[in-house]
Amino acid sequence: MKIEGTHEIKAPREVVYQAITDPQILQRCIPGCQSLDKTEENTYIATMKAGVGSVKGTFKGNVRLEDMQPPTHYRMTVDGKGAPGFVKGTGIFNLEERNGGTAIAYEGEMKVGGVIAGVGQRMIEAAAKMLAHQFFTSLDKEISGGDGKPVAQ
Amino acid sequence: MIPAQFDYVRANTIDEALALLAQNEDAKILAGGHSLLPAMKLRLAMPSLLVDIGRIKDLAYIREENGGIVIGAATTHYQIESSDLLKTICPLLPQCAGHIGDVQVRNKGTIGGSVAHADPAGDWPAAMIALNAEMIIASKSGERSVKADDFFVDLMTTAIEAGEILREIRVSKPGGRTGHSYVKMHHPASGFAVVGVAANLSLTSDGKCERASIGITGVAAKAFRPNGVESALNGAALNDETIASAAAHAADDIEANGDLFASADYRKHLAEVYTRRAISAAIKSVPPA
Repeated sequence: MKIEGTHEIKAPREVVYQAITDPQILQRCIPGCQSLDKTEENTYIATMKAGVGSVKGTFKGNVRLEDMQPPTHYRMTVDGKGAPGFVKGTGIFNLEERNGGTAIAYEGEMKVGGVIAGVGQRMIEAAAKMLAHQFFTSLDKEISGGDGKPVAQ
Repeated sequence: MIPAQFDYVRANTIDEALALLAQNEDAKILAGGHSLLPAMKLRLAMPSLLVDIGRIKDLAYIREENGGIVIGAATTHYQIESSDLLKTICPLLPQCAGHIGDVQVRNKGTIGGSVAHADPAGDWPAAMIALNAEMIIASKSGERSVKADDFFVDLMTTAIEAGEILREIRVSKPGGRTGHSYVKMHHPASGFAVVGVAANLSLTSDGKCERASIGITGVAAKAFRPNGVESALNGAALNDETIASAAAHAADDIEANGDLFASADYRKHLAEVYTRRAISAAIKSVPPA
């Protein structure tokens, strides 16, 4: 499954790049992320309690940031497993200066398996989009302080 | 499969259910159980406590009240499908109910449960939007009313907050020259709506469209109102061309979902086709002037 989209944030590209590669900010913005602990440079082990409506599952997995080219590009690979199934994916983030802010173009390729893929197939795409949207909304708040203005560094 | 361990309490009143919900943030409300229990059996949902409101007697009813129709949240799909009162005054509701799942599902599943679950392919959300229904949500601090347009927030996400219970659904009684229809493409295996369109039209005395209200389910993460279709119909003369050109706006600005059965583009195409059919069927159901 592919998800892609663009999200604009009213902040300079350097600030946005730093935010989306900062494990503490990522932990606060990834929906349901309970912990994101560094195991080695740019590699983290994550625990996520992700869910939609009454369907919830705890996932554990590795997150790796690769091909880092500040402040324009990086790739994130995720490999997670939980009671409801597994998730493997790669997301590519490209940052572009636009309208005095930053446009984050993202492109993800995900594989979902197990029970959740078997019975939830018809909803996985919508769920992934919803979680992506939640991520960017939190990121927006984190960077702009929720009022659309960049916070002083 | 076997669900994870959970506690079960049968509430006798809404207040009792609200108190139980407040005590345990991991509790879930059980009504008909036809969405929640399968998820629990697959361990996709593992609530620690189920609060059963399905047997609260004064939560299952259909009646006329203050010129409108009120339906208790625990009313089953079958009770709605077979209601003579509704067949007379609001036929869209029994028609929509008849499209849900199979007989077993309709006998156990409830309108409140289905609406609160907000499955993206559920049938009721389309009808709720087309009928401009109001959801009455109870909490410990009283009740509030939320319009269908604001109630469905996202995929399986509604305006119901933690500690709240959907208690009643209110629909105003369609009057004058109105027609309704619900048309649906059933998923061959699950019976869910690949696309479902509910249309509620009222006509002027000279046969023009006075007001169109339409809800579409199955296409996106949540049921939605196709504003472009409605504004193209309002005030228009109704013929094959105007209906077709209005229906062409069915999926405007909508991010459609794709799955193994139907791609996003196919769903958008179906939305247009079924919107056209729903409008035509609704016009046919208008009683002669």
